[in-house]
Amino acid sequence: MRVNGKWYFHCLIPALLLLALCGCGKSAESAEHSFFALDTYITMQATGPDAEAVLMAAEEQMQARERQWSVTNPDSEIYAINHSDGNMVEISLDTAKLIQFALDMSAQTDGALDPTIYPVLTAWGFTTGSYQVPDQDTIDELLSAVDYRNIHLKDSSVTIEDGVQIDLGAVAKGYIGDEVADLLREQGVTSALINLGGNVQTIGTKPDGSLWRIGVRNPFADGNLGVLQVEDMAVVTSGGYERYFTDEAGNTYWHIIDPKTGYPADSGLVSVTVAASEGKRCDALSTALFVMGPEQAADYWRSCGDFEMLLVLADGDIWLTDGLNNTFTLSEKDTNREVTVIRHETK
Amino acid sequence: MRPSTGKTVEILQDGNVLYTFDLSRTEDQVIEVFYQNRSNTVQIQDGKICVQAAECPDQTCVHMGYLSDSGLPIVCLPNRLVIQFSNAELDGIAN
Repeated sequence: MRVNGKWYFHCLIPALLLLALCGCGKSAESAEHSFFALDTYITMQATGPDAEAVLMAAEEQMQARERQWSVTNPDSEIYAINHSDGNMVEISLDTAKLIQFALDMSAQTDGALDPTIYPVLTAWGFTTGSYQVPDQDTIDELLSAVDYRNIHLKDSSVTIEDGVQIDLGAVAKGYIGDEVADLLREQGVTSALINLGGNVQTIGTKPDGSLWRIGVRNPFADGNLGVLQVEDMAVVTSGGYERYFTDEAGNTYWHIIDPKTGYPADSGLVSVTVAASEGKRCDALSTALFVMGPEQAADYWRSCGDFEMLLVLADGDIWLTDGLNNTFTLSEKDTNREVTVIRHETK
Repeated sequence: MRPSTGKTVEILQDGNVLYTFDLSRTEDQVIEVFYQNRSNTVQIQDGKICVQAAECPDQTCVHMGYLSDSGLPIVCLPNRLVIQFSNAELDGIAN
């Protein structure tokens, strides 16, 4: 083999580069981690210094929150509140903030979201798996305790009235997702996607700079209605199709209950997808807007505007806010669906 | 590296890959997966995969039917089982 003077380009510099990359110190890496928690399957991918370690820390944080906020765990703060017999309970600052958030969203949506709906949800069997249609008397009786204003929160003390049961399930995943996103950002993660059983949270863009592609499920059939392309946003969908049962007569009852009637919300919507920077807001709104129905949801959006939404109506039509118009692409087989763009100006 | 056929599926239990199959090539078969003495019966037939039967209270995994390429994995929560395509077209599904 002839050795010439340029051998160092071919051998030495690549060797030096290799040494530099293998050196100690935090260089950006990509990592993935999946596990079961919060009663669902959670998947995470992240790019940043020590991404692997950061994702393990994120899992630990989520498991800790589950222990703290689960309505069924006897050691949770929520359980303590629900078994307080009307007495005042001291809670942690973090739990107080979560409850305050749920109460604020309930007030903002005029009770369409209500964290005291739990006893009604149980009567329908959605918490036990023993599905049944409760009789009207049972519903009326249980509804008398349903009102978010029956939760009295002051600083870190909470009192709930007799018969009231609180459950933060409608906002907890979004709230916890936000906490995890904050943790990841603090640790230098610049690109990430966290999926908490369908509650999607993104940080930045994909590592190659392209937008994250998030599918919106088709409520009527297998597959997706279309794709949302997002960066640095959370996307959450609430749909009747996620959890429901059918009675012998063929009637369908789903788990999104209207707090005013005690029955599954029958507002003309089959799914609501909300996109915003905060997962907790997406989570709370996707439930509340589902209960409100398309017209009220459109009015609500016009008055707030700090989020975007896509509504799928029972007749198969799609309404979406104009901020999503350029980021949502319908699937090929769904291009004949009627799509209405909701705009800020009224007629 | 051989180009991916796009039909490679993974069966995971508690985050660990138990099996990998190329659905476009693999034989029809039935696999029984156990978690704490509870079984999920996974069926591969005509290039499609599903959970045919499961010892779990809610049967969500069975009701999901065949794994579709829309991106949602088949999940059996109580038995920590996940069946997914290894090359998903989308990054996530809002659900």
